[in-house]
Amino acid sequence: MSRLSWIKTALEVGVVTKKYPFERVEVPDGFRGLPIFDSGKCIGCTACANVCTPDAIKVVNDFTNGFRRIEYRLGKCIFCGRCADVCPVSAITITKEFELAYTGDVINAIEIKFIKCVQCGQYYTVSRHLKHVSSKLNDEALEGVDICPDCRRRSNINSLIHASGVFR
Amino acid sequence: MRSNIILGRGDLEVIEMLNKYLIDKIVGIRNVGDGKLIIDVKPNNLVDVVNVVTDKLGGIFVTIVGNDARSIDNSFHNIYVFSLDSLKTYLLIRVKLDPESPKINSITHIVKGADWGEREVRDLLGINMVNHPDPRRLILPDGWPEGINPLKKEFAHSIRPELNNSECYVPLRSDDVVALPYGPYHPLLHEPEYFELHIKGETVVGVEYRGFHVHRGIEKLGESRLTYNQVPFVAERICGICGFVHNVCYCQAIENAAKIEVPERAHYIRSIILEIERLHSHLLWLGVACHILGFDTGFMHAWRIREPIMNLAEALTGNRKNYGLNLVGGVRRDINKDSSARISKLLKDIKHEYDRFISSLTAVKEVIRRLEGSGLLPKPEAISYGVVGPVARGSALKRDVRVDHPYAAYKDVSFKVPTYSECDNMSRLMVRVDEVYESISIIEQLIDRLPGGSILAENAEVPEYREGFSGIEAPRGEDFHYVLTGRFSKVYRWRVRAPTYNNIPALKVMLHEVPLSDAPLTIASIDPCFSCTDRLLVFDVDKGKKFKVSYKALASGWKP
Repeated sequence: MSRLSWIKTALEVGVVTKKYPFERVEVPDGFRGLPIFDSGKCIGCTACANVCTPDAIKVVNDFTNGFRRIEYRLGKCIFCGRCADVCPVSAITITKEFELAYTGDVINAIEIKFIKCVQCGQYYTVSRHLKHVSSKLNDEALEGVDICPDCRRRSNINSLIHASGVFR
Repeated sequence: MRSNIILGRGDLEVIEMLNKYLIDKIVGIRNVGDGKLIIDVKPNNLVDVVNVVTDKLGGIFVTIVGNDARSIDNSFHNIYVFSLDSLKTYLLIRVKLDPESPKINSITHIVKGADWGEREVRDLLGINMVNHPDPRRLILPDGWPEGINPLKKEFAHSIRPELNNSECYVPLRSDDVVALPYGPYHPLLHEPEYFELHIKGETVVGVEYRGFHVHRGIEKLGESRLTYNQVPFVAERICGICGFVHNVCYCQAIENAAKIEVPERAHYIRSIILEIERLHSHLLWLGVACHILGFDTGFMHAWRIREPIMNLAEALTGNRKNYGLNLVGGVRRDINKDSSARISKLLKDIKHEYDRFISSLTAVKEVIRRLEGSGLLPKPEAISYGVVGPVARGSALKRDVRVDHPYAAYKDVSFKVPTYSECDNMSRLMVRVDEVYESISIIEQLIDRLPGGSILAENAEVPEYREGFSGIEAPRGEDFHYVLTGRFSKVYRWRVRAPTYNNIPALKVMLHEVPLSDAPLTIASIDPCFSCTDRLLVFDVDKGKKFKVSYKALASGWKP
């Protein structure tokens, strides 16, 4: 081999660079790009926020106005796709979109209404999540899903006391 | 489920030797996995024990793990990690120190590699190293208040103390040398790091290193804010080139601690991606080496060959870098039949291209002459510094974690460990050149034998307060992670020792008496990865610093 082989190689290979961004660059299937949140499907369970490593997905519970806000910050996202893995209703899709440079921070938010406890009248959970869980329970377990954990605890204790006969 | 005591491979032999030499010094002994021993010794016996381990058992120093275990057993722990390569065992020597004023005898006079580890423990945990030859800070910046040790549990990860204007770092040099700054920003260093080259005429006679400029507090973050399955995504951001090794190493350490059985297929997939990473990393290095020598044609071609490998990684994992593939207990994505076929085809193409590249490169005599005979690291020094990876193998030291402490699927494949005995920059280049061929062969074997089954262990529970550790052969050498699991799905202590951490101190030897023009190449010959090495703390050097030192003043022997 002589050093002339470099010239031979260069001629054989030709130009390998692309004129990006004037020429489009395709990414393969399965590429982890921008996650898109389907507000119609989201049940507000916060599973995505629990697994999010960089805290790009944040949950804000507004008990006075009665809604849960799920915020997604693009600037913090590391595009690992864990949120889409754990979403129980497949409301998150990982797209192939990768040209995501913005000058400011981009925040997408979903707001889901809370539901009130039928006994005390306080907001206690999001209605869609409750509906999703209820659809998986049998009738016996469904008893008392429309009251908040505090009221349920109280009524459980009351019925226990009643049954034990201590205060009869 | 495995039982707690597993004796295999060299374990019995090691225990026999420990019995023979150290029976009266060992307080406790525990086995945390195949070829993984932890012994407890009294602090005042440490120096004797280390002497025996290095002399009689052939132990090579790996790292020191400091741990603030005051909330567990009211003591600080110092764990000295040694690799007994021939016995295929990691030996961890633990000493428990006083919780009020922890101090321990230095072992730097026995193993030179312990220098950094001891200074790090002193900086971050406040453990006093008695008789340590270098009193200066290693990790904490100048101006960091005395007595605040960030890895102590009472220090919250979000605290940033007020910096004062004290100056702690004083270069050590004699008066008859000229100090030439190389870095922290330099066209040939791709990350911020400061070398002070001491030169006489055209010859380098000494080097001072001041690094850790890019600490990000990753260990502290992992211990305070993240849960088990979140840490892998941060771990792979320790390094911008070989991040996947940290990712796998962390997961293996947790799996070792929790005794989780990982499915065979997951082991194979991890090994395949690890080798793909080695391929692109070595090609990257070959390119950079050519670039440093002023041979940019070689640089361009090396990176051209590398590009299809990056595309392959993108297709297999969803990203060119930061693959995000691992969870504790397995992997997230499978390799299907189409991908296997694509890998096999691509490897053939790369092999052909690479053959042509190497034979053309060796035809350029200027390149070869610059590499031969420069940057010598003799074998005994290599052992004492505990160097790893291609740097060790270029100094005739046959060390490779894939062989010495097999992990993932490496026990099922056969490959050669290339070693060269010239101990110069050429040797280190040749090791990497040969390893590319071995990697291609390993991936081919793994694809052929890829077993079926699941890719993620189900119901992987992590119990509280168990310890585990793992070593991995990264492209730059041995990567080592130690974990102690804690409560609430968090790690109590996570220690990362990147390969470059052990290789940089050996530059002192490699740069001795080399011409100045060879210094950049010699520094590059260890394939330094500074972000890997600096991974502990977030700090801002400029903040609170009341004065500036000009470049000129620094170059002309400025002293505080």
